[in-house]
Amino acid sequence: MKKDEKKNNNNTTTKPHFWKWAIASVIFRLILIYFPKNLNLATRPEVSTPVTSLRRLAEGYWLTQSSMSPYAGSMYHGSPLLLSILGPLTMKKIEGQPYHLLCSLVSVIADFISAMLIRATGLNLRMAYCERLKLLGLGKLFEISEIVPSEDYAALVYLWNPFTIVTCVGFNTTPVENLFIILSLYGACIRVAPLAAFGWVVASHLSLYPTILIIPVILLLGNGPDAIPRKLFLMYKKDENGSSNKGRVEHNGLTEQKSFSWKPVGLFFVWVSIWTLYTLVLCGIFMSNYGGLSEMFSRTYGFILTVKDLSPNIGVLWYFFAEVFEFFRDFFLIVFHVNILFMILPLAIRLKHRPCFLAFVYMTICSMLKPYPSVGDSALYLALLALFFNELAEMQFSFFLFCGYVGVSLLSPVMHNLWIWRGTGNANFYFATGMAYACFQIVLVVESVSAMLNHDRKIRKLVAAT
Amino acid sequence: MAEGETAKPQPRPIIRLGLFLISHSLLVSVVCCAAGVFALLLLPVLAKNTYISENALMPGSASPMLSNDDVSRARAFVNKVISFDSKSDGSSIGIQELVAQHITDLGGEVNFHKFLPQVKKFNPLHFFSSPDQGIVQENYTCSSYGINTVGFIRASRGDGKESIILVTPYNSVKTSTGEAVSLGIAYSIFSLLTRVTWLAKDIIWLAADSQHGEYTAVAAWLREYHTPSFDGSGRSLFESNASPITGRKRDDDFLRAGTMAAALVIKVTDGSEKAERDVLNLYAEASNGQMPNLDLINVVNYLAVNGQRLRVKVEKLGSLLDSSWLRSLAELFHKLGTVARSLNLQWNFGISVAEYIEGTATLASSLYNQALGVPTGPHGVFRDYQVDAITMEISSKRLANYKNRPNELLLQGGRLVEGVIRSVNNLLEKFHQSFFLYLLTSPNKFVSVGVYMIPFALLVAPLPMVAASLFADSTRRNSGMENKVKSSPASSDIPAITFGSWRWLHAAKTVFIVHFWGAVVALLPHFLSLGGDSPPLTNLLIWIALSAFTLLILQVILGSSFSLPRMNQTRGMEWTLLKSVTIAAACTGLCIMSVINFATAVIGALMLVPMCLTAGPLWLDAKAKILKSFIRVACNVVLIFLVFPPVTYYLWKGALVGLDNARVGDFWNWVESLWTWNSATYIYMCMVHLPCWVLCVHTLIYPC
Repeated sequence: MKKDEKKNNNNTTTKPHFWKWAIASVIFRLILIYFPKNLNLATRPEVSTPVTSLRRLAEGYWLTQSSMSPYAGSMYHGSPLLLSILGPLTMKKIEGQPYHLLCSLVSVIADFISAMLIRATGLNLRMAYCERLKLLGLGKLFEISEIVPSEDYAALVYLWNPFTIVTCVGFNTTPVENLFIILSLYGACIRVAPLAAFGWVVASHLSLYPTILIIPVILLLGNGPDAIPRKLFLMYKKDENGSSNKGRVEHNGLTEQKSFSWKPVGLFFVWVSIWTLYTLVLCGIFMSNYGGLSEMFSRTYGFILTVKDLSPNIGVLWYFFAEVFEFFRDFFLIVFHVNILFMILPLAIRLKHRPCFLAFVYMTICSMLKPYPSVGDSALYLALLALFFNELAEMQFSFFLFCGYVGVSLLSPVMHNLWIWRGTGNANFYFATGMAYACFQIVLVVESVSAMLNHDRKIRKLVAAT
Repeated sequence: MAEGETAKPQPRPIIRLGLFLISHSLLVSVVCCAAGVFALLLLPVLAKNTYISENALMPGSASPMLSNDDVSRARAFVNKVISFDSKSDGSSIGIQELVAQHITDLGGEVNFHKFLPQVKKFNPLHFFSSPDQGIVQENYTCSSYGINTVGFIRASRGDGKESIILVTPYNSVKTSTGEAVSLGIAYSIFSLLTRVTWLAKDIIWLAADSQHGEYTAVAAWLREYHTPSFDGSGRSLFESNASPITGRKRDDDFLRAGTMAAALVIKVTDGSEKAERDVLNLYAEASNGQMPNLDLINVVNYLAVNGQRLRVKVEKLGSLLDSSWLRSLAELFHKLGTVARSLNLQWNFGISVAEYIEGTATLASSLYNQALGVPTGPHGVFRDYQVDAITMEISSKRLANYKNRPNELLLQGGRLVEGVIRSVNNLLEKFHQSFFLYLLTSPNKFVSVGVYMIPFALLVAPLPMVAASLFADSTRRNSGMENKVKSSPASSDIPAITFGSWRWLHAAKTVFIVHFWGAVVALLPHFLSLGGDSPPLTNLLIWIALSAFTLLILQVILGSSFSLPRMNQTRGMEWTLLKSVTIAAACTGLCIMSVINFATAVIGALMLVPMCLTAGPLWLDAKAKILKSFIRVACNVVLIFLVFPPVTYYLWKGALVGLDNARVGDFWNWVESLWTWNSATYIYMCMVHLPCWVLCVHTLIYPC
């Protein structure tokens, strides 16, 4: 959470602070991995979901070892590829060490790489931001207000966020899934289509919801990193009488279409089809004995989309679908999933000039509405949010949101305990915290989007004034 | 919360209401706090009569079947136990064997459970985890095993999946008459229940060997029952089936009888001469202020009062009974009640003076026991496994001349227990109808969660409001300052990026460091206890010294001044933000604690809320030199002094039992008892109360 941002305050002046804190976070994780028994995080519903739990993966791997379908018995619901990569690690045991050490190490490494990728993405974004500001003749803004190295902040927020740490130590696959999401954003940011395609395909394959990231990725590939709306350039150039433009900006409204470069996007689609084919073939080979690809789709994506597992989690769907009448179930399934899809297009139109921010908004909405959310999802979007620290400097309700996140994340285990272990509470107690969590996420999205739009307005005013 | 709504000329009504509340936060908080305290005192008046909400219980619907035959058999058993005790140690069989023999003779199954007293260990995360696996002790060559004797009756109409537990703790080394009689009561029930046809749940009689403490014995058996511990080869660690002395095998396994519906702990003690009737004391508080379902207490109370003509009592805080302020308050409420009644006959909330005083004393004791988080008897351990349990302590003066008239006591106790068992036997599901969260003001009056949350909510309500008001205040000041700064250069009209709304991060950092320190303080006694035995006073001093030292270190390591860019504050006004964040943290802490253990939270709120609200830099008040500021300084200093945990402890102790033989080291003993019982109150004290105190001190001495 943002609690950690205060720890990051130190790295404004010198870079070494960043590395100090980054390494400290890795060491902290390694220490925590050593005492997992006391924490027992792997069984927490906040941390591991039916889709991401590594304990289920171990079960699935064991089933394949005894020549059964990994999906038999409705234990495992992840990808077969993950099974063949992480599965052996769950069985391997180093003498005298905790048995899941290797898997946890994978999580630590994944977290670290994710943080580095976030940092690289952030650097890219900040450079683009500064460049655009200079192009608009707003260089003065740098003199009176410092642009903070938001990429370092974002990386440290990711590394020191209690949610990320808990997810990393909590023996599940979320760190790996997050890594691929970030990889695809990074690939799109530096405009390397194969990398972006690879990240996107694998991320979608692993957890389905990153599929909607295709819009930000395409926008990133076509338009380049987040920037001030293109209209402003037109405005600025018009005011300057358009004498010394850089050849890219023209004087008619068609500029946007022209400046959208289709080449990387086309390349992206080619690579997407290649990677998809590759993944499917691999999965097909794996699944050939166990019912083929259709079995895989129904047990992974089908499981996610039809909300089969109603065990409590921090989301809101389990409670709803536990209550709903059986014959309305399909209808409400459609309603809830279309909810996400409905929001995609308007947001894409409004935030098309800020694809990375758009990705943040999408990830937040998904984490709110997906059937099996975990705190690992918040870890991801909070880090993405920190990338825009400069733009969101005037964000409102930050303190309120912070208190809310802290409160909910402390209250949720207590309520769970009250319901499950003590038996003095009931499901409503726990669901209440889930609802509060969803509400705080909504407030976060609304406030951050409005802060971002306000920032754009402010820049526009400044441009108009000069 | 309310940052920058100033832009809009006419905000929405709800926001205007919020702004109104925030701008009058002083008045509102005083009113709320006063109302909270008043509502707390009003709780005995608001208490409702208990009622049995589970229909299936049907207490007293059947006439007791316990006959004189059973009782005389039990009497013979008691005599044997008593005389056994007086026999020399050289006897071939232990008292456990005697009990087991009698159970077998009645046709029940018998099981022995050998256990070792477990060293109490601090487990900070106990609250969040399930009852843990027994720690496998390697060196169980220790000489003094405790041996529980467990008897089973398999229900003729049941499926063996549910059971009712009877617990009779007794000291196997030296059994007192009271313990012998309690064994006798259980025996008489047992002998009856082996014959009855209506039994639908198995009966387990646990004769707990309390030579290492009652709680330990019951806890050890329950742990083995729920989470058996195995050694490397998969065998159960303790050969519970072998008879302790003769080594004769009884059964193959540790016997079980399904989930437990309810547990009754039976005790008999010597009553005072004064009481006319025999008294039944009920103890119900389990760890962390958990209570058994109210229905269980209701059933026991109903049967004891209506069936057996016992006087039922729950614990009272004796010192409150003859305090004059409480009496005058009671008279005030009484007068108010009569006035209200004269106005409208429907308003029937009058309460007699004696009733109010009794109610308050009981309520205070109930709050105190729940707040401590330490169970009041062996019933406490059952709650950790979600079993409703209660201790019934029959206190009778007839115990003294038991030898002359033995039957009465056995018959009375036996019929009471029989009635309760018969009621619980009727249950189809586990207790769930009635309340789990309540406070008792007398055995037949209770305050439910919906009512007792009101005073707490009123007490805590000012906290977010004041936090928001301080936050808005500092935001306004800062933006005012920025405007001033900006207008002075005058050259550029570009508004800078100021991170205005992230200014609280500095304060949050300080608060975080102090709370982190609180966690370290909470863990220190654990390491101190590893060091070995030293007198409490030394331990206490080391603890305080180490805590102070850690605070310094943390301040140096983490607190060195990092600054976010463009976050310069109005000079000397950082304390408003710091106070705001402190109050927000206190509010969060109190709210979470109210869910974990309400009693702790409400007592904590009584102390924390005034301190947090009044705290402000002393130099500001010192400069003002008016009466108001003088009063505030005095309030601050007094509150800060009173709320420091050791001082608070001695004050409470002085108020409750008197400071006659108090020693400085007592505080350490108290803290140690809290953490060995894994009380959440300990965590609360170290991670909410103490950090808030430190932060308030920090605010008080804030430099000019």
